[in-house]
Amino acid sequence: MPDKIEHRSNVVCPRCKHVIAVGHNNAKHYVLALCVTALILLAVACSFSFISFASNGQARTINLLQTFTELYAQGYIFVSLLVFLFILLLPLLYLLSLSYIILSTRYRLGFLPVIGLGKVISHILPWSMAEVFLIGVLVALIKIISMADIFLQASFWAYVLFAPLFTHIVFIVDNHRLWRWVDDAK
Amino acid sequence: MQNKRMPQGGKACFHPDSAAAQGLLNCLVCHELVGDHEKRCPRCSTKLRARVNNSTQISFSLLLTALFLYIPANVYPIMITDMLGDRTQSTIIGGVILFLESESYFIAAVIFIASIIVPVGKMAAIAWLCYSVNRKKPIRKAELTQVYRITEFIGKWSMVDVFVVAILVALIQLGGLMSIQVGIAASAFAGVVILTMVSAHQFDTRILWDKMEDE
Repeated sequence: MPDKIEHRSNVVCPRCKHVIAVGHNNAKHYVLALCVTALILLAVACSFSFISFASNGQARTINLLQTFTELYAQGYIFVSLLVFLFILLLPLLYLLSLSYIILSTRYRLGFLPVIGLGKVISHILPWSMAEVFLIGVLVALIKIISMADIFLQASFWAYVLFAPLFTHIVFIVDNHRLWRWVDDAK
Repeated sequence: MQNKRMPQGGKACFHPDSAAAQGLLNCLVCHELVGDHEKRCPRCSTKLRARVNNSTQISFSLLLTALFLYIPANVYPIMITDMLGDRTQSTIIGGVILFLESESYFIAAVIFIASIIVPVGKMAAIAWLCYSVNRKKPIRKAELTQVYRITEFIGKWSMVDVFVVAILVALIQLGGLMSIQVGIAASAFAGVVILTMVSAHQFDTRILWDKMEDE
């Protein structure tokens, strides 16, 4: 592994051509700023209404949380739990752990084990599905757009921004970089 | 002690280019490369193994479970629509056909890809990987690793269908006029997605490279 990777260039595996590490000159500040942005967007996405739906004089507005609380109310606890974990809790945990690790490289925070957080990040990463949820929302909208009037609300737009942002953070924070930060924070 | 961490046959079955043949182990969590005298990774204290024990067996058994769950996922309705007292139950494939009939080819294609092609393709890919590492013939091409990467990458995309149902169920609750209930297939399908993801994750790609033929 080279010590210094050129800005915005990738290091690929010589055998399988998979991207192992991504170069960035100021990754720590950049990622921390993106994390804060993503956390704010996620807070916005949770606190306003998501989508409104009107058909034959009847209207209904939902917020983001209702996408899984309604499943819970219908008795599908397993699916409801999965949706909650995949679209909200795990991305949130990822961002919080990552911010904590980055801050620990600068300040002595010390109230959480950094190595444990690094392991948490490595384990929850495949299970964060913000971008998949976004596609799911779009497909659902296309499905019902012909039979009712749909109004997209603030929370929807916040999530539309959040999902690609999250994917971008995940791309910049490759495993190599993450564990170097963990080493710095120790 | 050494032999406990080695797969059947000891050191001889490692590819000469591999780290294990040079007395090195790769930590699967933090990707640190350490000498094989270490029992745990010095950085993240994960247990180290040259190759994951029984990785193909575990992957394959998870795959079989997913395959069995895929049957109720397709047979039972994933969504039940109540429209003015009229009750329609729709299965996954039924939804695709419905959109084909109403000439919404794009949505039909999206749902067909996400809920049929991706899960089936993924299960086939894992089965193929498990088969390839267990047959006697060496693996000729490095393409199998790419098959694995693709399998791992597309895994979560089949969750789209479950999310669509979750949103529709939350949104369309207009009492007697129109309402949507979840069907049992949603749970089964979510189970299939989870199991195939864990199955792909359990598969140790390093055994693919052990069987690589020298070029």
